[in-house]
Parts: sequence; C-alpha cells; structure tokens
Amino acid sequence: MHLKNLVSQLQDFYLLSVRAPMGILRRPFYFREILEQMDYAGVGSLFIVVLVSLFIGMALSLQISAELSSLGLKMYTGKIVGVAIIREIGPVAIALSFAGRIGSGMASELGSMVLGHQVDILRVFGVDPIKKLVTPRVISATIMLPVLTIIGDAVSLFGGYYISVFVSHQSGSFYWSQIKDIMDFKNIFSGIAKPFIFGYIIACISCYMGLSTHGGSRGLRKATTISVVLSTIMIIVTDFVMTRILFFALGMKV
Amino acid sequence: MIVFENVSLAFGNHQVLDGLSFEARFYEKIAILGGSGEGKTTILKLILGLLQPDSGRIIIDGKDITKLSERQLRETRMNFSIVFQEGALFDSMTVRENVAFCLREYYDLREEEIEQRVRELLRRVGMEYAIDMMPEELSGGMQRRVAIARSLAACEPKMILYDEPTTGLDPISADNICGLINDLSSGEPPNRRGLIVVTHKITDAVKVAERFMYLRSGKISFDGNIEELKNTDDAELRRFINEILLVGT
Repeated sequence: MHLKNLVSQLQDFYLLSVRAPMGILRRPFYFREILEQMDYAGVGSLFIVVLVSLFIGMALSLQISAELSSLGLKMYTGKIVGVAIIREIGPVAIALSFAGRIGSGMASELGSMVLGHQVDILRVFGVDPIKKLVTPRVISATIMLPVLTIIGDAVSLFGGYYISVFVSHQSGSFYWSQIKDIMDFKNIFSGIAKPFIFGYIIACISCYMGLSTHGGSRGLRKATTISVVLSTIMIIVTDFVMTRILFFALGMKV
Repeated sequence: MIVFENVSLAFGNHQVLDGLSFEARFYEKIAILGGSGEGKTTILKLILGLLQPDSGRIIIDGKDITKLSERQLRETRMNFSIVFQEGALFDSMTVRENVAFCLREYYDLREEEIEQRVRELLRRVGMEYAIDMMPEELSGGMQRRVAIARSLAACEPKMILYDEPTTGLDPISADNICGLINDLSSGEPPNRRGLIVVTHKITDAVKVAERFMYLRSGKISFDGNIEELKNTDDAELRRFINEILLVGT
C-alpha cells in the first residue's frame, strides 16, 4: 500500500513538474500572477539575500585568508573566495535561503487554499489550478533565483573585499584583479546554470506539497516542513550532480 | 438527472461511502442529513468530480463522470455551482474581484460590463456595500452571501450545492441565508433551479428542502419528504430530528 502511494505521488509530482512550465505556452496567460510572484520572490527576498551573502563572503574571506596566511599565500584570498562563491557557495546558500522563505511560503499558501476549498472552487469554475497557481510560481522562481544569485554573489565578493583589505590588510586592487581573472565563461556559467535548476526544483516541490495538503493545520505544518526539508536535500544533491556534469561538459579537470 | 449507483469510497481505513445509491433531478430541493464525518460533503465533491469513487458509477446528464477526464468534467460541472462551508472566497482578492473572477475567466467582457454584473449580483445577495472589502473583513454570514453571488456569476447553474451553509452562524444570519437559498430556487418544478444542501442543522434543512436523505454508515438510510421524516420509526433519526419534532415545524 505504501509503495503504491509512493509511486502514485511520484507520478503526480512528475506530471506537475512537466505541466507547470508548459502552462506558459497555452492560453489563458496569467501574466499578472507571474509578475506578482516575481515581485514577491525577487524584490521580497532581496534584503535576506543581501544580508546572508554579505556575511558569507566575509566569513569565507576570514577563514581562507587565515589559512593562506600560515602558508604565506594570503594574496590569493580573492581568487579562492571568488571561485568558491561564484561556482558553489553563492548558488547553494541563496537557494537554501530561497527555499526557506519562498518555498515554505508557496507550500503554506497553496496548502491553506486547499484546506479552504479555494482550489476546489477553481476546478468547479473550470480553471486549471496548475496553470493558475503553479505555473506563475515555477516561472517566477526559475527567473528570480538566478537574478538573486547574481546580486548575492556580488555582495559576497564585496564582503570578501572588506575583510581582505580592512582586516587581512591586503591590496584592494590585487583582490579585484584576481576576481577579474576568475570571471571566465566556465565559472560564470557554472554559477548561473545552477540557480535556474534550483529555482525550478524548489517551486515544483513546494507547490506539489502545498497542493497535496490534507489533515487540517497539522497537515499544513507537515506539508510546509516537508517542502523545506525536501527542497534542501534536493538542492544539495542536485548541486553535486550538476557540478559533476558541468565539470565534464566544460572540460574542467579535478 | 444525477444517479449514484453503488458508490463506495474510503479514505485510508475509513470507509466513508459504502454502496451508496440514489437518484435526483436537477430541479429537486434536497437536504442530505447526517452526523459529522458521515460523508455528506464527500457526496457533493463526487457530484462535481472533485473526488473519484473507489467503485460504483456516478451518472450526470447521462454521462458516467467517473470515466471523464478533467477537461471533459468541466462541461458537466457547468450544471452546478457550489457554496462551501465558510464561503471559500479567494482571500487575496476583494469582494469585487471574487465575484468578477468567473466573468473574467469565462467571458471576454469589458470592465464596465463586469462591474455592472458584479454590482447586480452583490445587490441580489444584499452585499453591494462590501464591494471593496477583503474576505477577512467580512463575517461568516457575509462571506457566504458573497460566495453565493460568486456561484451565480459564471453561468446559470441548474443546481446549487450548499455545504453546511448555516453552520457557525447566529440564528438571524442563518435565517437570512435560508431565505436567500429559497429565493435562488424559487418557482415550480421542473422550471426552477434545484439545490442540494448538506447539513446537520435540521431546522435549517426544513426551511429550504422538500426531500430529505439521512446518511448513516455510508448509505442512505432514509429518503422521503417532511411528513415521512417526522413519522419515521428509526430511533436514531428521530433523535437527529428531535428539534423539529419538539417545535412541531
């Protein structure tokens, strides 16, 4: 019975994941909803992304410069901080913050709509809930997470710069020249490709969990918690898989 | 015509409906009575195709809706409208936007036409003054009135389904809602809009319905008119309708 349920849930999740982005290609187009969701997910998350990124950049710079200092290689702090942030830490940390703020919001909002029969009402009125509710959220998350990641990466690099120059007493111009050196296609592509996939995964998981809510307020709590936990796990696992694929595709050697 | 043939449905280990069968015409005014958790709301959801039964057939207008796709079900659902318990208004929209929702989804109307239709519907339920309010600012009775207006916006349904329309309301608000339900289903059969109301408030059921069904252990254990209901020998049902027996409605 459990296995049958699991297979059935996976099938439903797969259908939602395919139908949601395809919804943008069919009438009616819910542009207003997409813009509203982009505003909520993007502009609404800006403060937390800037805050998280700034402190990650500073902490990373502190750790790396301390370690490199003992080897006499402190001047390479900028290069290592830059690569770590752009390729790996920036996309993952911002995706995790996004899952916590936006993913949980999606799951709880859709969950309460299910419990309040609002989703049933949509179906009775002949409106496809996936197209009306899920498509705008998936599109907005897929577009806004890369945008937030670019902003977050820039803020992290500034955080790293602050520590390198004012705490670790390195040359600011040398720090930026090292950052400039690592800004090649491979690094930028690695850093930008991931958030597209992370945004899609977070939105699909959160919307699916929200729409499968049952069992009152306890069920809503469970759905929201599972959506965040599952998104977190999937971000970490997908990050590893994508890193392997990108290393192979871009011809990067270990 | 709505036909339920041996419909069974379980949620996990809980058998909600167990071989349920009945027939109803679109112009009938039916109250489905029963205790909490007996599956009254489930019947409404099955009629609309929002749930699928584990076994049995549900035939609406000659079509077995258990075999229809979501897209095909939309046509069958046009026969009905539903007012859920608590109204189920879209809480991110104003009263105006809630009522206009279907008009925008279904028809290519100008904004002035939508506004005119929304005001007309809200006037019909006595809620025009609340047009700019948010659902959270409305009382339970007001939310249900707006939900009724919204249910009439999309099309002219042959039958309206009401899920516990008066539960949680004070006696005056409940009486007003019953009056509104009667207004919307006024006229003589077969030229009137029918209704199915599921409720455990027997005093409200007798105000709006002509046919009564009592749901017990997943089956219809009683099906008859008000006189037959009052004269029933079923001890459990007599306890359920005790309120009207005492008042002598």
